[in-house]
Amino acid sequence: MERKPIKILSAKQISIQAPLSEEWMDNPLNYSEDYVRAVDPDFKQFISAGDARRMGKLLKRALATSLSALQEGGIDNPDAIITGTGFGSIENTELFLDALVREGEQLLKPTQFMQSTHNTASSLIGIHTHCHGYNSTYSQKGFSFDSALYDAWMQFRIGRIRSALVGSHDEMSPVFSGFVRKAGHVKEGEICSEAAVSVLLAESGDAYCTLDGVRLVDTPSADDLKAIVAEFTASGIDAVMTGRSGNSENDSWYGFLDSFLPGIPQLLYKPLFGVNFSSSATGFYAAACCMRDGRVPSVLSVSGKPVECSKGILVVNVVEGRHYSFSLLKPVCGR
Amino acid sequence: MQDRSVLITGCGIVSAIGQDCGQVLDSLLKVRTGVGPLKYLKTGHTEFPVGEVKLSDEEMERMMGIVPGTPTTRTALMGMIALHEALGEAGLNAQDLKECGFVNGTTVGGMDKSEQYYLDFIGNDSRNAYINTHDCGSCSEMIADRFGRFRIITTISTACSSAANAIEMAADMIRLGEADIVVAGGSECITKFHLNGFNSLMILDHSQCRPFDAERAGLNLGEGAAFVVLEEAGHAAARNAKALARLSGYGNACDAFHQTASSPDGEGAYLAMTKALKEAGLKPVDIDYVNAHGTGTPNNDESESQAMKRLFGSSMPPVSSTKSMTGHTTSASGAIETVICILALRNGFIPVNYAFEHPMENGIVPNMDLNEGCRLRHVLCNSFGFGGNDSSLVISAAE
Repeated sequence: MERKPIKILSAKQISIQAPLSEEWMDNPLNYSEDYVRAVDPDFKQFISAGDARRMGKLLKRALATSLSALQEGGIDNPDAIITGTGFGSIENTELFLDALVREGEQLLKPTQFMQSTHNTASSLIGIHTHCHGYNSTYSQKGFSFDSALYDAWMQFRIGRIRSALVGSHDEMSPVFSGFVRKAGHVKEGEICSEAAVSVLLAESGDAYCTLDGVRLVDTPSADDLKAIVAEFTASGIDAVMTGRSGNSENDSWYGFLDSFLPGIPQLLYKPLFGVNFSSSATGFYAAACCMRDGRVPSVLSVSGKPVECSKGILVVNVVEGRHYSFSLLKPVCGR
Repeated sequence: MQDRSVLITGCGIVSAIGQDCGQVLDSLLKVRTGVGPLKYLKTGHTEFPVGEVKLSDEEMERMMGIVPGTPTTRTALMGMIALHEALGEAGLNAQDLKECGFVNGTTVGGMDKSEQYYLDFIGNDSRNAYINTHDCGSCSEMIADRFGRFRIITTISTACSSAANAIEMAADMIRLGEADIVVAGGSECITKFHLNGFNSLMILDHSQCRPFDAERAGLNLGEGAAFVVLEEAGHAAARNAKALARLSGYGNACDAFHQTASSPDGEGAYLAMTKALKEAGLKPVDIDYVNAHGTGTPNNDESESQAMKRLFGSSMPPVSSTKSMTGHTTSASGAIETVICILALRNGFIPVNYAFEHPMENGIVPNMDLNEGCRLRHVLCNSFGFGGNDSSLVISAAE
């Protein structure tokens, strides 16, 4: 059976780069600090002041990137809303936890508890857009976006949906930024950051590119990796978007790409967007923007030279040396 | 798409009413509640009855052969016990798991340890290992890795419908040929964090909960874990795996109404049930029993009643909430109640809605008779979460 291509209609970010824009492609913000919070846009165009007061940063950013992606893609009511988050609204979680531990089990705030639940972003977007369709949330550390994208991919293939808003959102409080360093989630030489990314997928509409495949695999053998890379690059790619950050342990997980894709330029997004549980979504977003423009800006390329972008980009994410994800972006036919 | 039907070839459970399928079945048949005074959780809120698993962390560690001192969490330990039973029943070993998927549902994750060691996390390095057990994903890895390495692991966190959505995702993976076997379910322990959270929302009953009762006054928090082994029918037949039941349909919908309240007409619940029936190719009249979400909160039971009345009209099948015995096991509830439905299908009875006395105005009247010896063909299992994340599963007798 001929399957309709899944198109990426829009992709939006709020991160440590200029929000809701692709300014980073030519004029990136550079940081020397090792913990940087996101640059927020003016939320007034998306959320009333009253609503905004009740929402933590993660919710405001999730709503802003979502509404912005829906607007550009020209879809009001996506058939599915699927979200990833590693920690959920960690600031409200921390406020509730801190009060519980330091002040005891009295006078705790229901709003903080409610926002500590990981699915609040997906639900909020559902409530705001009146979408009664498929709605789910994944929380698998730095693999949360990848899981959400995989689910969306399956929902299309099973024929249940024709459009999906897929996002991943993580905020980072000062206290938890210390925790994730201690735990090794963010490593030496990496910027601990925040990110909110929303991507609109649909079977029809003007698109940046198509999403031709998504594969997740835990603890693959070298042969497994070789086979997956061969399958995903059979029709040719221009570059591979990797989660290499400059940290030697993290970068060693991507060594198989040197072996199996010799000569293919490797692109890096973590030096630009930092590291958090939604990092892989920033890499996917950056790759989609490159496909849209038909060029990879020099700021992403290891060699520092721009790369032409006409055949496709393979996006690869490896978490803790065990969770591997592959997603393939290809040009829209006839473009 | 070619039809790849999804069988259930193993299940495992640990809850307040039993630490394996046999004990849970016994409690269901004797209508014995597991809800009672707090014993294991250290909290000042002793006024709230809870459905605790009657095991300490140390006892569970011993059961699972965990070396004392290994960083672990109560959610992970309960998950291991349930997964152990499920894999054993399906006859799967570490080698088999390399081709299987694992989808876990949890929200609390390692919060039991985080609330204990939070000040250490801030002030010193003595408990750093438990920072790594805080998040939901690490909880799934601890549960799964105890038995080998699965080919795909992920975690769903949609509050109280997490485990139901994990089962739905797993079934989609099988239907699309992404895997022939996917183990799915959920695990959640009681923590001070969410006991206090639910208390701050004023939805905890100070006595035994009474789902669908006119005088219901909230939920009792429960805990536990359950997993089911979902397997493609041809694959199960080829290896002579016994089918316990069939997952014949499922639906996920969003109420899109409020973060912590259900809509008065139960739109999300109605849509989830309708989608599940449609996928199963069944009509409402084909459903022989509904295991309701039935938390015992005034809002849920009212909203769910309206949704069921809209769907079933005058031919309402027997309905019960087994949370009246297990407590509300939150993220695990979808899997715990799936296993309860399988036990009902296989043993020919209808679980009773414990503690029900007074019919609510315009509500449903829940089942109070075990009907032992009855033949169930199709049952519906509801799981609704905060944020209006509503899911329903249709579980059918194995042919």
